[in-house]
Amino acid sequence: MSALTALARLRAIRDGVAQPITTVRHCHVAPQPMVFVPLALSGEAAAPLAAMIGTDPGHPRLLVVPQPRNRDLRFAFTAELAEVVLPYVEGFRKDTETVERRGGEPYERCLEAPQILVPNRQGAAFVGLLGRSTRFRRIDGPYPVHPSVPLLGRWLTYFADRSQQPGSCLLMAATEALGLHWATGQSGLEDANLATLVSWIDPPAGMTGAQAALEAEDPLLWPPAGPVTDPGFDNEVLAPAVHAYEEAPTEHSVERIAQALRTQLDPTWRLMWRAVELLRALPEGTRVRERWETDRGSFTRFTERLAEGGPPQARRDGAVGAAARLAGLERARASYDVQRAYDDPLVMAEYRLTGEAFAGTVTAADPEHTEGEGRSRKLRPLVTVTTADPVRQAPGTVVGSPDRRGHAAEIVEISGDEGVEAVEVVLKIVKGMGRGKSPTPGSVPEIGERVTYTSLTDDFQSSAALPDPELTPWTHGGPPQEYVPSDEDAQEEWS
Amino acid sequence: MSESLDALELRIAELRAQVRRAVKARDNTLARSLRGDLRRAEQAWDRAVGAGEPESPQEREAPLLPVREQVHQALALLGVPSAVRMIVAVNDAFFSGALRGPQLTSLRRDEERSFRGDPYARPYYLCAALTDRLSPARGLLADSTWEPERRVLGPLSPRVDFLVSAMRVADRLVRMTDPPQGARRLLRRMAQNIPGAVEGLAPADPETTIRAARAELEVHHAADVAQRAEVAARAGRQLSDAERLFGAVALSTLRGAS
Amino acid sequence: MNGRLDRLRGPVPSRPHDARAIAALAANPGCARRALLDAAGVDKDRTARHLGFPAPFGQSQFAITRGNSFETVVKENGCAELLRLLRELLKLPVAEVGYQDVESVGAHLRHSHTRALVDRAAREDGPAVFYDHPLLSLRIAGHVCYLEPDVVAFQVEGRFHIVEIKSFSVIDGQAEPRKVAAAARQAAVYVLALRALLADLGHAEERVSHEVVLVCPENFANQPTAALVDVRRQLAVLRRQLTRLTRVDTLLDGLPEGLTFDLAPGQDGVPTRPAGEVAEALSRVPARYAPDCLSTCDMCMFCRDEARESGATDLLGRQVRDELGGVSSVAEALGLAEGTLEPAEGQEEIARLLRLAERLREECLR
Repeated sequence: MSALTALARLRAIRDGVAQPITTVRHCHVAPQPMVFVPLALSGEAAAPLAAMIGTDPGHPRLLVVPQPRNRDLRFAFTAELAEVVLPYVEGFRKDTETVERRGGEPYERCLEAPQILVPNRQGAAFVGLLGRSTRFRRIDGPYPVHPSVPLLGRWLTYFADRSQQPGSCLLMAATEALGLHWATGQSGLEDANLATLVSWIDPPAGMTGAQAALEAEDPLLWPPAGPVTDPGFDNEVLAPAVHAYEEAPTEHSVERIAQALRTQLDPTWRLMWRAVELLRALPEGTRVRERWETDRGSFTRFTERLAEGGPPQARRDGAVGAAARLAGLERARASYDVQRAYDDPLVMAEYRLTGEAFAGTVTAADPEHTEGEGRSRKLRPLVTVTTADPVRQAPGTVVGSPDRRGHAAEIVEISGDEGVEAVEVVLKIVKGMGRGKSPTPGSVPEIGERVTYTSLTDDFQSSAALPDPELTPWTHGGPPQEYVPSDEDAQEEWS
Repeated sequence: MSESLDALELRIAELRAQVRRAVKARDNTLARSLRGDLRRAEQAWDRAVGAGEPESPQEREAPLLPVREQVHQALALLGVPSAVRMIVAVNDAFFSGALRGPQLTSLRRDEERSFRGDPYARPYYLCAALTDRLSPARGLLADSTWEPERRVLGPLSPRVDFLVSAMRVADRLVRMTDPPQGARRLLRRMAQNIPGAVEGLAPADPETTIRAARAELEVHHAADVAQRAEVAARAGRQLSDAERLFGAVALSTLRGAS
Repeated sequence: MNGRLDRLRGPVPSRPHDARAIAALAANPGCARRALLDAAGVDKDRTARHLGFPAPFGQSQFAITRGNSFETVVKENGCAELLRLLRELLKLPVAEVGYQDVESVGAHLRHSHTRALVDRAAREDGPAVFYDHPLLSLRIAGHVCYLEPDVVAFQVEGRFHIVEIKSFSVIDGQAEPRKVAAAARQAAVYVLALRALLADLGHAEERVSHEVVLVCPENFANQPTAALVDVRRQLAVLRRQLTRLTRVDTLLDGLPEGLTFDLAPGQDGVPTRPAGEVAEALSRVPARYAPDCLSTCDMCMFCRDEARESGATDLLGRQVRDELGGVSSVAEALGLAEGTLEPAEGQEEIARLLRLAERLREECLR
């Protein structure tokens, strides 16, 4: 949260409608995403109750567990879910491209990857729980399940893990994707409600976002987006229907439960597709594609791991694995933040506010400026930028610019008073102007040009020096044993 | 036909919304009357949708024994005052499997009424276990033919009785050539709460379970016997016949039994 | 003072607090409205409904059933599961298995029976280790509240412990932090009450451990697992808030003498006092609304509406307020940002920041 976003929220209150906090879209929206709205039984850790799922807004598939306390019915549900999810996910495996890399073997990468959209963060967490509760099941032994169930479990676990990765779009929560782009006139806590969030962003005609959001809080009009259902619905509708099923488990009593659950899922299903449309309408940021390439690469590696017959993901990371994972997440977070700033002047504005970036007009330029003598004589063009932004960087700081890739400059001198359009920053360009006597055309900003410079850089930071997992010190438990799922995992009770 | 179904569905949806609004506003009278309307609408929908297809008669195999005899059977195996859940579990594991918790809710009250109406007319009664305050213990059922010391509880008795019942379940397993899966699972569940009875995820061995339970029982046995004797003696002195079986509180209900 | 509190509440019995309500007292310590309503024992739920702002709370019967059935699993067979857990967790000696159900006496005797049993146990001649269904009490702003823990108090090596049984799952060693925190707050209330009881009986308070045993289902089964949770911080917060409640006289100062939140229920219990009048009376006591109230306070919808009507930045949550340097009104903050309002003394810095933010937004969205 920055003053900029805070201001946008205030504006949203005054204008009665959500305000944009970006100028471009920072997440990938697949041509054919799979929307998944799961519901769970209240009070249970991972007892699926129902789900609406599919890739066609007009034809959702409704899956229902008529008695969620019955483990056989739960596994029947997961088998049905696998029937929908697995063909979708596996459909992306076939078409690949060969990626060349400098100093490495070329590798194969899937041309497209699946994208699963859930309503909210709890929905994504539920995907993980469902994965956790199914990936160790066995297809033989005392509690056999359909072969698709453990496979589904591994995929769901993969998607849930991947959604922790900043900037990854394989599994996205709609509230988070929307919240990344709009500020509403309600609190962050209330933004977790998909119905009110969409109401603020895109209120129906004749209503302000504020009014629409208030209406959207009524669970009778807009049932919660799950996985937890409305207690009123549980007590008044679902419980009697489940009871009737227990009395007489007929097709007809199943249909009654399905009907009831459909009323809870339908509105969210429609909201999800509206969210997709809202996101699609935004122009895509430049680096979204690169991040999606990373996602595609990750997806490809996981399909290979499955094909090689690797074991299911462990219950817990080992010491080194956990540290590496954490360091990886931190790097990804930093890099994602920088990428968004480079893609989007409004995000960059957050850094201008704190003095980590500045934008202004070039008022003087010496493109042929050189330093040194004789053989060590180097081209070092000088430009002077006049800005009204507070500049908090010291001379000597190396800065980059979203305007030019591969461009870097060093701050030479800062003069003048901030705030009165009078700060002058003299910059020496050190990278990206070519090796010739005079700069490559276009590589040095010209007088009158608007430019932005920032000390944020997306350099690949070398990972913290962590030992290989095999070299884990004994103080941290020693080398982890390869995770071999035990009978205990497979037979774990599911009551 | 389908039109009337549509209309009914619409009405059902409306009624549900109204019920929930009434519940939210805590208007209980209104909610109750609306719920009545809702049930009628749902029944009408049921009839409309099911018209033409004959309602399949509910198939539920009639248990061979009356409920009280099935309970008695389980209690005889366990040999100690037991909770409804345990009785149902034993019935599931070793006997018909047709016993359901809710069937036992009013059992103790019915037995008491029968006893008070015509004392000792039946060979046994399913009665209460008495606490050290001579009140009926919550949720436990006992057999009236057991000696008084077995039907009263001191502070150590719940643990002692658990150990005894585990030994008796194990003993029954020892004497079966091919014990059913359910019975083994029941023993496992009990054995894992007894130190030394079972390791990790291995199935529980009945002989080991008996040994382990006996070892812990040694620790509590003497004190429990003395405390029970004291309570039983007090019950004998202070209580009427009916109270000795059903406890010293006039209104004894089987609470927490579901 | 109690006379004034009684007048605030009107001629209805004081609303007793349960542990959850007492724990929630500590949730928003700065709210004078909540402090006063609670001190006076006003039924906030009923008041909010009468005002047309019912709280969005409700409990699913599925969750209730699940909670009850898990509690049964933990306690059945003489607490067999609990014994196993405590033997593992606290090395409870094998001889320590005594169990006493305090509910074996009539409801009216439960509290005195609990007292007697705890006293005996503290003198170390009590036979039992576990006390199931004890009834504890705690004085809140002059009123005695009875606390009915669905928990068991037990002692090991002369120290009492509170066991809190919750039905949320611990999966691969992890539970939802929010739920653990709520359980810890609630357990702290029981620790406090049990300490008060011991102190009252002349025993040392410290005999009640600040570590509570939290029992939850493990993974996806009904099998219980246990962990020790240190509740010292929760105890400190709770103590502070309870002391504040006893000082409500400072809150009462400056309130009109005849002020009351009485709903004037008629013969049938239905409130007869116009809602507008009640709202008017409530507005005399300042609230400190925060979005967190939406999950902890019955009055939340009323206070949120009030904050919205008055254009308070509280609506947006603490983070936003902090960003705004404490500027409390939406119009004021926007005025400073757009330069239509001159900053007051001390506001120069935040005004400069907001104006810059405004300029940057304009520039980027042009």
